[in-house]
Amino acid sequence: MKFIHFADAHLDSPFRGLSFLPSKTFKQIYQAADESLTKIIDLALDEQVDLVLIAGDTFDNNKPSPRSQLFFAREIKRLTDAKIQVVMIFGNHDHMNLDDLLVTPSPYFKLLGASEKVESASFETKNGFSYVVNGFSYLNNHIVDDKLTAFPAKGDSYTFGLMHAQEKTTQASQNVYAPFDVNEMKDLDYDYFALGHIHLRQSLSKDPWIVYPGNIQGRHINEMGPKGCYLGQIDEQTGQTAITFKETGPIVWQEISVELNSSVTKTDLQTKILGNLSDINQTTYFSVHLVGAQYLDGDERELVQDKDFWQSISANLNFNSQLVDVRFESNNRLELDPNDQTSFEKAKSEVFSQPNFMKISKDWLRKDPLAEKLVSDPRFQNEVKELAEVKLSSRLKGINDETEEN
Amino acid sequence: MKLKKIKIVNFGQFSNLTFDLPSSRLNVFFGANEAGKSTVVAFVKQIMFGFYLRSNSSPFFEDYRPLAHVSPMGGSLFFEDTTGSNYELERLWAKGDKTKLGILTVKKDGQTVPQNLFFDQIKNIDGAFYADSFIFNQEMLNQVNSLNQADLLERIYYLGASDSNRLLDVRDDFAKDAGRLFKKTGKKPELNQLLKELKDKRANLADVELQFKKYEEFSSDLQNKGAQLKQKHAELVKLQKKQNKLATLQQELQSYKQLEVLENKKKPINFDSKNYQQAQMLIGQIQNLQKNISSLEQKIKHFSEISVGDADAKRVVQKKSELLQWQSEYKACMQRAEQIEDEEKQLLAITPDLQKVINLNPTQINDLRAEYQNLPKETASSKKANNNNLGKILLLTGGLLSVLGLILLFSSGAQGLIALIVGIIIFCAGFYKQKAEQKQRELFTKQINSDKERLLNFKKKYGLDPDNLDLTNLLNQLNQYRSKETAKNSNDKQMKEINSNMLGLARVIENLLNKSINHNFTDLLNAINEIESELDEKRQRAEQRENLKSNLIETKQNLKELELKLNTLLAQANVKTMDEYNDSYQMYLNQAKLDTQIDALKSSLEDHLDELQDLSKNPTTVKDREKQLDEKISSVEETVDDLQKRVAEVQVQMNDLSDSTAMFEAKQDLANTETQFENVSKDYLADLFTSKWVGRALDLASNERFPKMLKSAKEYLQLLTSGRYTDIQIDKKITVTRFDGKERAVKYLSRGTAEQLYFALKLAFVGQVRKQINLPILIDDSFVNFDDKRVGLIDQLLKKISKYNQVLIFTAQSSLVDKLQVKPLTFTKGNQNV
Repeated sequence: MKFIHFADAHLDSPFRGLSFLPSKTFKQIYQAADESLTKIIDLALDEQVDLVLIAGDTFDNNKPSPRSQLFFAREIKRLTDAKIQVVMIFGNHDHMNLDDLLVTPSPYFKLLGASEKVESASFETKNGFSYVVNGFSYLNNHIVDDKLTAFPAKGDSYTFGLMHAQEKTTQASQNVYAPFDVNEMKDLDYDYFALGHIHLRQSLSKDPWIVYPGNIQGRHINEMGPKGCYLGQIDEQTGQTAITFKETGPIVWQEISVELNSSVTKTDLQTKILGNLSDINQTTYFSVHLVGAQYLDGDERELVQDKDFWQSISANLNFNSQLVDVRFESNNRLELDPNDQTSFEKAKSEVFSQPNFMKISKDWLRKDPLAEKLVSDPRFQNEVKELAEVKLSSRLKGINDETEEN
Repeated sequence: MKLKKIKIVNFGQFSNLTFDLPSSRLNVFFGANEAGKSTVVAFVKQIMFGFYLRSNSSPFFEDYRPLAHVSPMGGSLFFEDTTGSNYELERLWAKGDKTKLGILTVKKDGQTVPQNLFFDQIKNIDGAFYADSFIFNQEMLNQVNSLNQADLLERIYYLGASDSNRLLDVRDDFAKDAGRLFKKTGKKPELNQLLKELKDKRANLADVELQFKKYEEFSSDLQNKGAQLKQKHAELVKLQKKQNKLATLQQELQSYKQLEVLENKKKPINFDSKNYQQAQMLIGQIQNLQKNISSLEQKIKHFSEISVGDADAKRVVQKKSELLQWQSEYKACMQRAEQIEDEEKQLLAITPDLQKVINLNPTQINDLRAEYQNLPKETASSKKANNNNLGKILLLTGGLLSVLGLILLFSSGAQGLIALIVGIIIFCAGFYKQKAEQKQRELFTKQINSDKERLLNFKKKYGLDPDNLDLTNLLNQLNQYRSKETAKNSNDKQMKEINSNMLGLARVIENLLNKSINHNFTDLLNAINEIESELDEKRQRAEQRENLKSNLIETKQNLKELELKLNTLLAQANVKTMDEYNDSYQMYLNQAKLDTQIDALKSSLEDHLDELQDLSKNPTTVKDREKQLDEKISSVEETVDDLQKRVAEVQVQMNDLSDSTAMFEAKQDLANTETQFENVSKDYLADLFTSKWVGRALDLASNERFPKMLKSAKEYLQLLTSGRYTDIQIDKKITVTRFDGKERAVKYLSRGTAEQLYFALKLAFVGQVRKQINLPILIDDSFVNFDDKRVGLIDQLLKKISKYNQVLIFTAQSSLVDKLQVKPLTFTKGNQNV
């Protein structure tokens, strides 16, 4: 038996950090997820798989656009027409009513566990191999209960679990996506637990299989690397399962570090960056981390942050690839006199401490939920801190230079 | 640094004026207003930090103009540092000098030294710093409202980290940069704009998220509209049919009008065409009859001239047969006479007995015969054989003919009549004949009987043997003989009679014919024939006339009957004459024609008759209906158009939706804005945090002077206000907290309290920086608003301050001077510029 497992198609979802791109590029971008999905369906048809598991968040929200709905319905119809069984669940993004789904009803299409109730469905392949899929769909955007307890025990047949969920964490506020414990999941001993929600492809366990296939198309710089689906092959005799990742996402996000050891000219800088971006074989969106950013002066910093500069670099890249992000990293300490150094270090740890971060940014923070979301993200805080360091370091370097000149 | 001596060469109103300051702690300059106190304060500041020679007026106490004609301007200040070294700062400006600040010469212990030898000791502060921090005058006091943390901090940090002035700039620049990106209550900064954009784009996304709902709505809308459209189409078709019908009706209306005209022409007529036909036939018959009648009458007229016969002639004619009989009888008589003679002779010859009886009279004979007849003998019956049956036949024939005629009379009229008459005639003839024959027969029978009797008598009486005697025969013979004799006699007699008859007849005929006629049978017959034919002719004509007459009567009767019938018909038809009847018939025909036309029209108009009737009655309704229909049609058409448009629109919208990348775009758009917001926020926060960071670093580096200063200031304020104000909060603006916990912004403080706050803050600051910068504090008439109680409090404070800083008080208040218990320096007129 063959099956395909994918999740988090997030149709309609935007790409982040690309506001500067020309609008024609967005066409390619908005089609990227569709294209990836189509490739997955193509793969299913080519491989003549028996089953396609869709582990939630097919749509980016619970009110998907008619375009995406119709597109998805068309793609699913290709499978059901080919008598390929499709079992799908809704995730926290596309928590919606089955009635609102435009998929043409078919015995080969099964939406599992509507109303957030774990449902068990039994099927048989053309060759008469029986299998069971257990899972549930989201009806609301959060599920705080541990749903694993509701999953039935494994029977004689090959058993799939299908769930859109996140591992339990210590932070209660994050345990809102059907939090589960991996060990408990292992204890269920399903042959293959098809998960969705986490966009980073990973296997939480290999025996038994507990798999996040990742999303089918990276949408921002934090979703790097190849994206696609898993193709599973079950040995019907032994019940052993082998999975292969199949890349289908047409655009790949990649982070590249470019290190500066000394001041450079603008031309050198451009050459240096370009040199780091040339080794690609598909459409790639780059985020460049300039390490040693303190060697850049204000002008240069402004330059490398200029979107036109990015575009000029992108123009030299193959596959319509893009430089879409430049971040600065300072690789040395502030150049201050030793007395002040202490003050600055102390001040830094004070100012950037969690409570102070909130306090200092409170005027801004209260303006918008996005600000709240950002500020609660340690990564964002860190980025602010790094940028502040780069800024200050660069500024103080100027002062020191001036002082030295004097 | 303690100021030991002030030496003015030329400055303001002063020339060559020197003050030796007696105290390193508290010195008081006492002078009335305009005595030159402010000038001395300005002098001290400007000698250190440069003249203020701009043509525009300065903002405060330095607002004066150096005397143009006095040159050089300036003078010297003499300081003593903590180590006991003396510094002379001499600043002079002469006309023509390039710098307007004046030329400064610093001497340490009488030796000219680099300026920074002095200024390093006061941390290279500038004039503004000095003025803001060490000079207390009315004008500065007035600025307490605008005093803020930043200004205070700036001074404080100045004394902390190295390059703290630049770090302060860095801090401020970052703060400024941050402020450019975001303001708590602003619209223009980028982040504020992005915040608004975020809201807008979220709203937009929320709108777009309704796409699917819209799609479903459109879908059902489309169905509804489709159904409506279908219905409207059907309605339209109906209406158009109605319209067509109306058009047809209008066309038919002409026909209907014609119909109406025709129907108006139509009259109720009761005409029985059968009757009329009958009448027509009757008329024909009547005419025929009338023709017959006139022809009959004509004929009858023709016949009426002829006399209808005369009785004599008839009698004569009737005698014809008699005559013929006579003729034959005569002839027969003649023959008979001969015959009889022969026969008598023969008889006598044959029968000798005969002679014996010949003389016997008849009675004797009869006796004889009777005697003989008693014997069975049959002889005479044979004579009967000669019976004549003609009469009987005639009688029968006539009867039959009459019956036939009678039948024919009923069946075929005239022929029957004729046959009847002929029959009757024949019958009568037969009747006469029969009678005549009977007479004859009777006559014969008598003869026979007498013969027999004779024979019988003869036998008995005459002795004749009957056996030998064939009596019968004898008698017969005798009879015969005797009959012959008789016959001869009668014959003779008959002949005579005939002759007499003939004679009579002849005379009659002669009379009749008025001519003499030969008295023989032939001529007589001829004459009779002549008369007879004459009579026949007459009778024939009469018969004819009678026939005609009866015919006429009958015909007239028929005519009468027909006329009666006709009249009945006319009466029935309610007309008087046939002409009228004809007219009425014509009318009937016309009506029939009308009926036909009407029927034709009606059948062509058929179902619409009622409506046409209505229409014709109300001609306006046609137009109304037409108008109404037109309106309805155009309204429905409009609706249809509208619906079609809407359907098309909905379809387009649905197509748009199904192709729409609006959701993605809205999300992308929002994501882009979010990214922008994130990036700019990062930038903003980096700026903000850098600023805070630097600020905090300065705080730390400056040994947290600011908090310390704040602490002192609070103490001072409490002191100055006798505990009415207990706390100071320095943020962007300064607020104070009253003893009762109420916070007050500076601008709401009384002037006195504001001055006390100002005092407290500045003195606290100077106190804080005294280790780094120890310069004289210049207090210029600042207590003008200080009442006695406050002056007392200030006195305490000044004494406290002057332990660390030299204080120079310039005042016009003698009470303060008294209070301070210091010998004041005064401005003598002689020292002023002359």
